[in-house]
Amino acid sequence: MRNRLRERAVISGVGCSRFGDLLETPGLKGLSIQELTASAVKEALDDAGLTGQDVDAVFAGNAMVHSSQAPGTYSQLSKWTGTQFKAGVHFEAQCSTTNVGAALAAMSVAAGVYDTVLVYGLETTRTKVKGFSPYEREPISNQQTWLWTDMAVNQAYGVPQGYDIFSTYNGLVALGYCRKYGLSIEDFDRGMFELCRTRRLHGAMNPKANIQEKLEDRAAREGFSDPYEYWRSDAHNPFVAWPSRLLSLVTTADGASAMVITRADLAKGGKSQPVELKGFGINYSDLPWYGEDPTHWEFDKRAIDSAFDMASITAADIDYLHTHDCSHISGICTAETIGYLERGKGLEAAREGRLRFDGDRPMSTHGGRHAFGHAWGASAGTDTYEAVLQMRGKAGPRQIAKPPEISVIHTHGYAMISTVIVLGGI
Amino acid sequence: MSNVAEKPSALRSYYEGLARNVFLATLCKSCQGYTFPPTGCCEHCGSWEVEPTELSGDGTLLLATHNISPACHPRFDAIAPYVYGHIRLKEGPIVQAIVLGVQPTPDDLKALFERGPVPVKAETLRMSDLPVIAFRIAS
Repeated sequence: MRNRLRERAVISGVGCSRFGDLLETPGLKGLSIQELTASAVKEALDDAGLTGQDVDAVFAGNAMVHSSQAPGTYSQLSKWTGTQFKAGVHFEAQCSTTNVGAALAAMSVAAGVYDTVLVYGLETTRTKVKGFSPYEREPISNQQTWLWTDMAVNQAYGVPQGYDIFSTYNGLVALGYCRKYGLSIEDFDRGMFELCRTRRLHGAMNPKANIQEKLEDRAAREGFSDPYEYWRSDAHNPFVAWPSRLLSLVTTADGASAMVITRADLAKGGKSQPVELKGFGINYSDLPWYGEDPTHWEFDKRAIDSAFDMASITAADIDYLHTHDCSHISGICTAETIGYLERGKGLEAAREGRLRFDGDRPMSTHGGRHAFGHAWGASAGTDTYEAVLQMRGKAGPRQIAKPPEISVIHTHGYAMISTVIVLGGI
Repeated sequence: MSNVAEKPSALRSYYEGLARNVFLATLCKSCQGYTFPPTGCCEHCGSWEVEPTELSGDGTLLLATHNISPACHPRFDAIAPYVYGHIRLKEGPIVQAIVLGVQPTPDDLKALFERGPVPVKAETLRMSDLPVIAFRIAS
């Protein structure tokens, strides 16, 4: 495997919707999924100074077609996005979808096939089509969401025999982490509290986040003067897979994201500051996702190594990192595997505030999967959106003081495709 | 249609084996690696030269947590929350499955965690529509 891009490819425009619920969230309520997606696409095209007719191809991502009912997404959305008569495909890599799309787009640009590609992702994990209505929607139950989502997990043996995302992704990883590094369950709990607090702080500073309320404020609203007592309350924050609690998990959302990938020479002098997609790595695995050691995921390591090799960087070069944090402890393990955090010290770094936007190891400054929310096939694009804002110095109150020069975005697409992209200035 | 012979299926055979308390895997003729549960291809070297084999059902429970109720899959609503474990089989494969012999409470799971790895034995849990593998902690 040569693992090289023959020409430089850049992200010249990014967009994303607010994440939330199409039935109740301000700014989203009343939108159709067509309009939800178009809002993200319009922002990305405007950011790049283009229209839909300026792109050569459209890679349209949507994972859970059960709720969107929008397969053939490229053509169903074409008149809503101004992209009629283009090359296009509907694809999915579950929760890595949009960043796998970025990699595919970079490959097609570097290969000399297309000059400019529009990638977008849409997902509705909170609401689904109501009956046969073209625009009315209704809530999805938690069990229905997971039943549909778990269609991406081993349907021969895993799911039929009791596989459970909360156990596999959270509880077992947490216990493996504690045992490996000699961490007490009590210290683990405190570390997870601080990590959630950081993510919620970032969400509170992001007008597009699903949850925009700090953990301390939520605790006070529920009558707790000590937010850690709120955290330890079974009524408000039960164990979903001991010792992992509810607030260390993803929150579901409806949402959309988009980006424009183009040749580096075409982006120069464009409307907005482009960011180079310097490298990527993709690697997948069926269950089990780890061997005896739940803190080491081999397919993550391989994706990281490929991406770093293509981009010619090392962990020491990273200024900003997002790791997939559907499960907060899994996200910490990945950051340690990457080498951004010291092994076994990730939760200590969270307790010391080092992972905050104003810390020395900033991570997930948009709020991550818990506070920003998770709309499966659209989410990776929001991670990239945030990295691009940070690198441009346009992240508002959560801006990292010195805009990152190298950003790394890691995502887990169920179940599991590890995707790592490396972004750098040009 | 009734005269059409069914092709052999590793997937169907696995569940039919479970119904008889038999734990089927495949063994690779090239690298001698186990693929569990069974497929038609070696998960280690990619060889298609594999043959069915039976595993002992003996293993070591490395870690155990629990899940939520209602379960993510309605098949398990009747037993959720249940204990779910990370297990190393005697023959080598790592498997995750329902664990029997411990309650899904923080206190019981913490006591089990502090005890460290414990021996377990596979058995068949008979759900209403499907036999599934479970591992019982040795008394």
